[in-house]
Amino acid sequence: MYRLSDFYRLSAALTGYQEVELQGTGVGPVYCQTLSKWVRQDVIEALYAQAEQIGALDNDTNQARFYDQIWNSAKLGPVARNIIKMWYLSIWYQLPADWNALYGVDDFSADKPPVEDYVISSNAYIQGLVWNALGSHPMGAKQPGYGTWAFPGHTAKTHNLD
Amino acid sequence: MTHHHNDYDVVIVGAGIAGAIMAKQLGEQGKQVLILEAGTGTDGRFFDQGKEQGYESYMERFFTAMAKIPNAPYPNNPNAPQPLVTDIQKPPLDKPVSDHGYFVQYGPDPFASTYTRSEGGTTLHWLGTCLRMLPEDFELQSRFGRGRDWPISYQELQPWYEIAEQHIGVSANADVQNYHQIDNPSVQLPFEENYNYPMEQIPQSFLDQYLAKGLQGMQVNIDNQTYPIDVVATPQGRNGMPRGDYRPVGAVGNPDLGQRCAGNSNCVPICPIQAKYSALKTLEQAKQTGNVTIETQAVAYHLAVDDNTQNISKVHYKRYHSSDSAAFEDKAVTGKIVVLAAHAVENAKLLLASNVANSSDQVGRNLMDHPTMLTWGLMPCKIGAFRGPGSTSGIPSLRGGAFRADQAAFRIEIGNWGWSWPEGAPIATVPDLIDKHGLFGPALRHKIAEEYPRMFRFGFLVEQLPDPDNRVTIDDQYRDQLGNYRPVIHYKVTDYTRAGMAQAKEVSDAIFQRLGVEPFTQYKTSDPGYVQYQGKGYVYNGAGHLVGTHLMGKDPKDSVVNRDQRSWDHPNLYLVGCGNMPTIATSNPTLTMAALTFWAADNVLNALDQY
Ligand SMILES: Cc1cc2nc3c(=O)[nH]c(=O)nc-3n(C[C@H](O)[C@H](O)[C@H](O)COP(=O)(O)OP(=O)(O)OC[C@H]3O[C@@H](n4cnc5c(N)ncnc54)[C@H](O)[C@@H]3O)c2cc1C
Ligand code: SF4
Repeated sequence: MYRLSDFYRLSAALTGYQEVELQGTGVGPVYCQTLSKWVRQDVIEALYAQAEQIGALDNDTNQARFYDQIWNSAKLGPVARNIIKMWYLSIWYQLPADWNALYGVDDFSADKPPVEDYVISSNAYIQGLVWNALGSHPMGAKQPGYGTWAFPGHTAKTHNLD
Repeated sequence: MTHHHNDYDVVIVGAGIAGAIMAKQLGEQGKQVLILEAGTGTDGRFFDQGKEQGYESYMERFFTAMAKIPNAPYPNNPNAPQPLVTDIQKPPLDKPVSDHGYFVQYGPDPFASTYTRSEGGTTLHWLGTCLRMLPEDFELQSRFGRGRDWPISYQELQPWYEIAEQHIGVSANADVQNYHQIDNPSVQLPFEENYNYPMEQIPQSFLDQYLAKGLQGMQVNIDNQTYPIDVVATPQGRNGMPRGDYRPVGAVGNPDLGQRCAGNSNCVPICPIQAKYSALKTLEQAKQTGNVTIETQAVAYHLAVDDNTQNISKVHYKRYHSSDSAAFEDKAVTGKIVVLAAHAVENAKLLLASNVANSSDQVGRNLMDHPTMLTWGLMPCKIGAFRGPGSTSGIPSLRGGAFRADQAAFRIEIGNWGWSWPEGAPIATVPDLIDKHGLFGPALRHKIAEEYPRMFRFGFLVEQLPDPDNRVTIDDQYRDQLGNYRPVIHYKVTDYTRAGMAQAKEVSDAIFQRLGVEPFTQYKTSDPGYVQYQGKGYVYNGAGHLVGTHLMGKDPKDSVVNRDQRSWDHPNLYLVGCGNMPTIATSNPTLTMAALTFWAADNVLNALDQY
């Protein structure tokens, strides 16, 4: 998979999950592929490079640079946000048409027109990070067992918080 | 077992819970039964056979559906179209109809409920709430001067309730469900002495317990009378711990699955392990009698009448080859007795299309639902939202009382899945955290961890009265691709119901205040179900409880079926389903309808003895 390790590193910063947790979902390669399906490779490279340059987001300076150079960038911001949504919700949201015109994959027009938002796969749905983040399980899968709902619920893991 | 003849003891239209119960009861007594089912079938399959057609294909569809609405797992089939919640619009004021989706709606208010047209019917995605009606619900007219009386009483229906509860496999405790702990005599239910449900009540969620504690001793005042606010476990058609020798039915085709609810938190739209009752289970039992044949992809569209006897002589149906094409064979079949179990709206449509059973002019009229108002907010602490069955408890203490002379009664449902209904959380709400609030990384994770487990909502199932102008009709202009009629609906929510919504909102506000719930309820004027009452706005949703379109009564002049659930006009025609119910009251209707259907099956068996 093309630059999967970069994808994981960036994803960890964006999602707040450790790389090992992301790898554990098993859907990283599919997401990495999905990204390449919709975003031009040079844009993805630029995003990795920029993130690399900024480094860990553990201080105010780096965070400010991150907002400035990635989050608020017309080119990179939408991609970064889509990566988070992909991990949390397992959905690829179509990027706006004007963004696509500038940075979307080249062969958009014919066989890959901007379609509707879509769920990447049933397994991706099951692996969505949001369920773990809210302290539960994906609705319809990973059943916790009879009567578990009577208990307070495992308070969602909140390690790694500042 | 297939019969290659065209002549059955009983022809049943519809393989939902009503048709399935009828078929099983008749098949067990050796009667030859054919069920015509409009939708495609699962052929009794579960995980063991193929992803293409079986139950698991429904799971696949659900997982990858963007809009996880009740019909999401069940393919849309243009030969047996079904209404979708995403089709619901406010009927436009400037044009006569809202012609979006399957229903054609004239309003003035939108009809917001749906059903499912495939083998198993709407119980594929029902929640499974199995409440009995109150004795006073059968006598609204004589007690409150509202609505209608039933031709039967609670006492008469009670043994049939027991049979239905045993069959569906309801989990509940009778000494809780008689409501004797509630200080409101109107809602107290008589149960047969020593009766108990087949399975113990499903554990109440942590949220339920939290509410029960916080609301202890709370009362509200309505019309100068005080009413308690009590949290009570809800009886449910999902497998709990069996009592005695009772053994719950597992999944169809794989009985080892689904013996207990495992907390998949997905009962609507689909229970992955079939721990929740669905009509597929009863259909399987019906087939095992060896006397019941199910023909799927068979849409009944016309009933022919014998002029001499007024009996239904033939059921005409269109047997299509696949849901991808409109090609069909025109077929007909004969039964000594014909039973319509195609669901309230479809039964009415079929009767109207055939011009039968309508000497009273009540067919299609008196359509009722529970306009369901939601309120939602954030609890002051984490209550473990998004876990367990959709709802495990409710507040039933306002289901009855003297106030029903002036305003609708309502039942309060406590939702276990956070803001999934009102806001589509978490899937629909997380993008805003990212796009609008700029959250990412640990801050995003933290926000979700801190806030989502506090999400909480109530649902208020508000009573509606039978109103002849709320109705299903047919119109030559509106047909589906097989040439069958689409339902044309006129519907309004009257002040009686709106007053109930307003009262419900007041009760909700009082509860929120008492518990320190931060309110997030928003009723937007743009919402299709937006209505006003005394200057304030409210929003209702559909409950999927379609009732009243061929109601039962004492008088052939103003009702469609008699207390035997037989058509007044045609001696060999029986109707089953919620369409028979003269009032909707405050309980989800399916248990009552199932009880009535067991009764109807007995009546059909007796009638068959005369042939
Ligand atoms: C989201 C949702 C949640 C619900 N939750 C609850 C709940 O918690 N408790 C409760 O009591 N009720 C609930 N209900 C209501 C409950 O599902 C229905 O009352 C019940 O399923 C109706 O059963 P039925 O057999 O009459 O109709 P259906 O289950 O709709 O079955 C009718 C069958 O007839 C077939 N059919 C239709 N037209 C034709 C035709 N022309 N020819 C041949 N076949 C035809 C259909 O395909 C279908 O299989 C809910 C409904 C919804 C939508
Ligand atoms: S909570 Fe889960 S296992 Fe239980 S009935 Fe609902 S979907 Fe099925």
